[in-house]
Amino acid sequence: MLDHDTLTRLLERALRYGGDYADVFCERRRMYGFRLQDGHIHDGATSVTQGVGIRVVTGESAGYAYSDDLSLDALLRAAEAASLIARNAPARAFGSIDLRREDVPPLYDQSRADHAPAARYVDLLERADRTARGYDSRIVAVNANVSDELQDVWIATSDGRFVHDHRPMVTLGVHAVASARGERGSGYAGDGGRTSISYFDDHRPEALAADAARIAATNLDAEAAPAGEMEIVVGSGGGGVLLHEAVGHGLESDFNRRGTSLYSGRVGERVASELVTIYDDGNLPEERGSITVDDEGVPGQHKVLVERGVLRGYMQDSLNARLMGVAPTGSGRRQSYRFLPQPRMCNTYMPAGESTPEEIIASTTRGLYAKSFAGGQVEISKGDFVFMVAEGYLIENGKVTAPVKNATIVGNGPDAMTKVVAVGNDARLARRHYTCGKGGQNVPVGVGMPTVKIASITVGGTADDQQ
Amino acid sequence: MINNDAIEIAARAVDLALELGARSAEASFSVTQRFHVEARDTTVSKLERSTGSGVHLRLWHDGHRSSVVSTDLQPEALRSAIVRGLDQLQYVAQDPYAGLPDESGAYHGDLALVDPSIAVRDDADKVADALALERAVRAADPRIVNSSGSHYSDASSSIALANSNGFRGMYSTTSASRSTVPLAQEDGAKRTAHYGTAGRFLRDLEGNAHVAAVAAQRAVEMFGARKPPTMRAAVIFERDVAAALLSDIFAAVAASNVAVGNSWLADRIGERVGSKLVTIVDDGALSGRLGSAPFDGEGVATRRTQVFEAGVLRSFLYDTYYARKLGARTTGNSTGGGIGANNFYLEPGSGSLAELIAATSRGVLVLDTIGFATEHATGTYSRGARGFMIENGELAYPIDEFTVAGNFPDVLAAVDAVASDLRFDGSTVSPSFRVAEMTISGN
Repeated sequence: MLDHDTLTRLLERALRYGGDYADVFCERRRMYGFRLQDGHIHDGATSVTQGVGIRVVTGESAGYAYSDDLSLDALLRAAEAASLIARNAPARAFGSIDLRREDVPPLYDQSRADHAPAARYVDLLERADRTARGYDSRIVAVNANVSDELQDVWIATSDGRFVHDHRPMVTLGVHAVASARGERGSGYAGDGGRTSISYFDDHRPEALAADAARIAATNLDAEAAPAGEMEIVVGSGGGGVLLHEAVGHGLESDFNRRGTSLYSGRVGERVASELVTIYDDGNLPEERGSITVDDEGVPGQHKVLVERGVLRGYMQDSLNARLMGVAPTGSGRRQSYRFLPQPRMCNTYMPAGESTPEEIIASTTRGLYAKSFAGGQVEISKGDFVFMVAEGYLIENGKVTAPVKNATIVGNGPDAMTKVVAVGNDARLARRHYTCGKGGQNVPVGVGMPTVKIASITVGGTADDQQ
Repeated sequence: MINNDAIEIAARAVDLALELGARSAEASFSVTQRFHVEARDTTVSKLERSTGSGVHLRLWHDGHRSSVVSTDLQPEALRSAIVRGLDQLQYVAQDPYAGLPDESGAYHGDLALVDPSIAVRDDADKVADALALERAVRAADPRIVNSSGSHYSDASSSIALANSNGFRGMYSTTSASRSTVPLAQEDGAKRTAHYGTAGRFLRDLEGNAHVAAVAAQRAVEMFGARKPPTMRAAVIFERDVAAALLSDIFAAVAASNVAVGNSWLADRIGERVGSKLVTIVDDGALSGRLGSAPFDGEGVATRRTQVFEAGVLRSFLYDTYYARKLGARTTGNSTGGGIGANNFYLEPGSGSLAELIAATSRGVLVLDTIGFATEHATGTYSRGARGFMIENGELAYPIDEFTVAGNFPDVLAAVDAVASDLRFDGSTVSPSFRVAEMTISGN
């Protein structure tokens, strides 16, 4: 997007007062999509957003400015605005910056230059709509959307690194509402990844739509969720939201460098049951949370966060890694050129254990089977989290029984991880498209998990039969 | 940016769309200057200053529609984006309700949306402001030993809108906010809290001393918190948490949700849904408020809409499209493709939050919630929460790691007290209120 001379000039201008480090983040993002509503293609959307963000780091301080005006004047003004952070920093002479292109083996197709013909996208939505409506006569509304995004980033740093990444992302989502006797139930299913629309040749929209309709019909018939403490069995795949909230955020390096996380200073300590191992991996081919390089130009990595219950390390962006005296882990991510990077998760998952899912269910006397989650949230300093069950069932005397709707689960990260009493042999990544929000920035992530049982956790429903 | 330039950019985009084959078109152009400083301990940890702009077009042709967003204003870039949008439009179903509004216009009075002192405020003052807040919050209590930073930010925007029916409109706004996130430590346990203030005018912001005191208090008062018993009890939602409930109610009255069956309030206009204390208003023409603007995202004059009147559902909130689809009239709530709140608020009652607590023999005060799943189709609400147990009209002990849950129809019907502490620090706001009974899940 910008040539080497311009990038070098911007870096030099950004460091005119000094500073430890500077980088220029150039981004062009092209989004193309359609929405379906009421059985018809409702609208289409095209967007092109591009701009440049310039950062100067001195000590633990960062100056930042962006511009979506790519004229040299505007970019130099942004570099100057970013430079001001170092105005009172100790002077430090920078040698000339010699940018060298680095090529990192890509994790996804780098060649696709454009979206597919419109008819391909429309076809997916119409097939999803037909299937969802045909699934059950009580399905009264179907909304679906498809989007195809191509994000190009070019990152130049004062260390002389220059990298480019071309990141595709397709997403298909189906929302179904079932209604009968004045009651309603809704269901959602979504899929996608860093690939092309051809992904849905094998991962057919019919399967996704049937899943959304099935969940809607199940929730229509569901009882109110119970209230109080009980055993919980978390389903494989989407259950990984639990890891993301209960542990993952607390291991991001900004919180730990600042000492605001309950996991601060605890590397090497036992923080979970011996059955618990957690990875964060930016390197899984074509997965939604994968990145060939992060938004600071560092290659994505496989990180061991927790190994057999022991905390092994944090997820590091470059600023916090430098201040903590360790190497960055390819975890510096940002929503767009309008934001400073933050340490973030990629694909967070737990590898398989030894129990079968059937054994785990059979060992549960009274509890909740949380098959999938709609999302969650965590408070970092104490570790309290919630997650919202998208599809849940009661477990009674070792058997999955009645569906329950709208359960929220609340717990405390270290407490819940210590109470993990069984881990299934059915580890898998969720196929749903999750987006993680932190500090006002959204980034795509993946989660995964085998079936896991937690001995006791609080379920927040409304059912009257309280314990 | 000179105002006429912004209108000119929007108008030229409309002309370009017509030239390329759109039957009708609308373009909005906005430019925003943003400033943000984060102070942590004695250093300036973040300093951000930027200008961002972009154009958003909506295109129509014989009842087909599409939308185009671009931050690239070069004519050839805009041209190719519009061509793409016009190609997409052919695949969109013909829809008799799609199109430009019939009643373009703007609110005529002075809405007082610009504080001139924001644009001229010196960066050094803003930095000093954030550092002072950080100092104040750390000095507020010996247990405040750390923080996630204290912030000051402001923004100045110009928004221009043009359409092919000849509408041309432009307005400017300012906003500013300050907030702080202290961390308290006691016996190895950590607690954070957040408190902030925002407004269109600097003079509307609560002072640093007050913001620091509230934030510090909220961090330290949670030490020793325990899980409450699982029970049904009265619940008082403090105003910031209450505002989040108002957002859920907004989603249920947004015609875009009503039209697709994703609202528990569908088909209930004219029914008594809430208690007599539930009077909810959307008003885009309030002077000096963050949700105010002379016209909405499609050039329709903003106005006051009574959504609930003493518990009776009076109106949904519409843009032109969903108003036509549901046989109603737009309420000026278009965001230019969706439906958004202007100033959406619960009418305040009388008395302070303290008086509300004192009048509650047994219940729970909710000061913060986490989670976001409200099932709008069914009105089911459930959140993780922290706050206080109330016994005999007093805050008995802090509680956390519990959920508060209920169904919106039951919750609104059981609102039995509303305080007077409404503040307009966002576009969806609420005073504190009490619900006679909800489900608390704890031990």
